[in-house]
Amino acid sequence: MSDAAFWILQLLNALQYSMLLFLLSIGLTVIFGLLHFMNLAHGALYMMGAYIGISITSATGSFWAAFFLAPLAVTAIGAVLYFTLIRRLRNAGPMNQVLVTFGLIFVFLDIVRLGWGDIALGLDAPTALQGTTKFLSVSYPTYRFFIIGLGLVVMATLMTIVSRTQIGAMIRASVENDDMAAAMGINVGRLFFAVFCVGCALAGLAGVVAAPVFSATTGMGISILIPTLIVVVIGGLGSLQGAVVGSLIVGSIETIGAAVLPGVASILIYVLLAVILVVRPAGLIPARV
Amino acid sequence: MLELKNIESGYGETRVIHGLDLTVEAGSVHALLGRNGVGKSTTLKTIIGQLSLTAGQIRFDGTDTSDLNPYDIARLGVAYVPETRDIFGALSVRENLELAGRLAPAEGASWDVDRVLDFFPNLADRMSNGGHELSGGEQQMLAIGRALMMEPRILLLDEPTEGLAPIIIQQIFTKLNQLKTEGMTILLVEQNFNFAAGLADMISLVGRGQIVWQGTADALKTDTEAHEKWLGV
Ligand SMILES: Nc1ncnc2c1ncn2[C@@H]1O[C@H](COP(=O)(O)OP(=O)(O)OP(=O)(O)O)[C@@H](O)[C@H]1O
Ligand SMILES: [Mg+2]
Repeated sequence: MSDAAFWILQLLNALQYSMLLFLLSIGLTVIFGLLHFMNLAHGALYMMGAYIGISITSATGSFWAAFFLAPLAVTAIGAVLYFTLIRRLRNAGPMNQVLVTFGLIFVFLDIVRLGWGDIALGLDAPTALQGTTKFLSVSYPTYRFFIIGLGLVVMATLMTIVSRTQIGAMIRASVENDDMAAAMGINVGRLFFAVFCVGCALAGLAGVVAAPVFSATTGMGISILIPTLIVVVIGGLGSLQGAVVGSLIVGSIETIGAAVLPGVASILIYVLLAVILVVRPAGLIPARV
Repeated sequence: MLELKNIESGYGETRVIHGLDLTVEAGSVHALLGRNGVGKSTTLKTIIGQLSLTAGQIRFDGTDTSDLNPYDIARLGVAYVPETRDIFGALSVRENLELAGRLAPAEGASWDVDRVLDFFPNLADRMSNGGHELSGGEQQMLAIGRALMMEPRILLLDEPTEGLAPIIIQQIFTKLNQLKTEGMTILLVEQNFNFAAGLADMISLVGRGQIVWQGTADALKTDTEAHEKWLGV
């Protein structure tokens, strides 16, 4: 393999992984920014997206049914969590939130073990996206291009909504000063719930699109949680642009680091986290001005 | 139009307002004066529902708002300009205004962005600036303009002159006077006695979470004893 081809391949892998991290970190960062809630169970929602997607595909025979329905199912799970736990724990302090949502990880783990068993489950990419596509002399799986494209579309859509629409202005205003937003007639609680649902749907979407690449395993929720948390902290808690930049950085370092410096790749990301926490404790692009 | 009946409220365990009665007549400017820390701002925060009542009742235009959420109270036409102005720094000046205008009826709204810019021409050049880039005077104008965009039936203003240069204070005075002439109902909290006296039809003095004196500006000017006792330093 030529040098250039090697780098293009690494770059595409990095992009693809970054997009998954982005889909996940959006939910996590927004839930923290708006609700001041640290939801460690967010990775479990990703896992649920994958398993539910696999079941929907085998029941309907269609990946696309899973693509649309699994995020909805995960949103429903998120809504149940919201009304039973998250809303009540809003003022309970970060320690209680972390403990409860950490416990939830194991609840979901057992749900998956009971429902789907402990073995890795694969999912076939839809026929139209199987095979490879040539890009700058590199042959790369078409399905992975699809993930990259999907991530970019979601990114562009969210950025446009947040920066250009009235709903976006309502969200920015409420994140900055929820009391004043309420005094201007915004039902902040309902707005935050809606945004929370979008975050859950994106976690479910990430799960179902990841399944054909990585297979669904009971450990997938936990192993994605750490890099996602790092993305959120590096980017700035509650910041959409921060999630974009953070996912690209973490995705690139993890992927390219593993290819180039396999020995130290796994600690590189923690070094970066430490440096950013010292230099810019509020993250690269903080949500509040 | 706005009636507070024997209200009590405060922060957590701390009671700040102890049985306060106040009636603001429709179309009038009512000033709430008093020394630092007597509970003027707390009263406004209670009216808009940010702090909940522990006793008493608040009625606005016949509706009991005592247990309503802040956003429901806002939708009844209660617009609030806090002491800290609370301009959204992450939003442009235009977005700050348009967000408030969301509440206005689609047809027949009396305030829109153009009218606010006519009213406060200083804001016209700042429309695309971020809220965090404004001077104190501009922030106050935007805060009032934003409240007007809500098509308010009552304006609650908390110390609109605080920290502003005399020339800006004069401008704001002229604008509020204009609103008064148009029949706007205003509840004004102030430390600046002359500013308040020049606008108010009625003045209530607050001492330790209660109304301790009530009358016109002229009556207060001649009642040197009340003036000394509740406003003097
Ligand atoms: N967030 C808060 N938490 C606890 N106590 C508060 C809070 N805000 C104000 N207080 C207390 O409530 C009392 C009344 O405060 P308030 O802000 O209503 O006074 P004020 O009359 O508006 O004074 P000023 O003229 O200084 O603005 C004060 O003793 C103050 O220390
Ligand atoms: Mg005050």
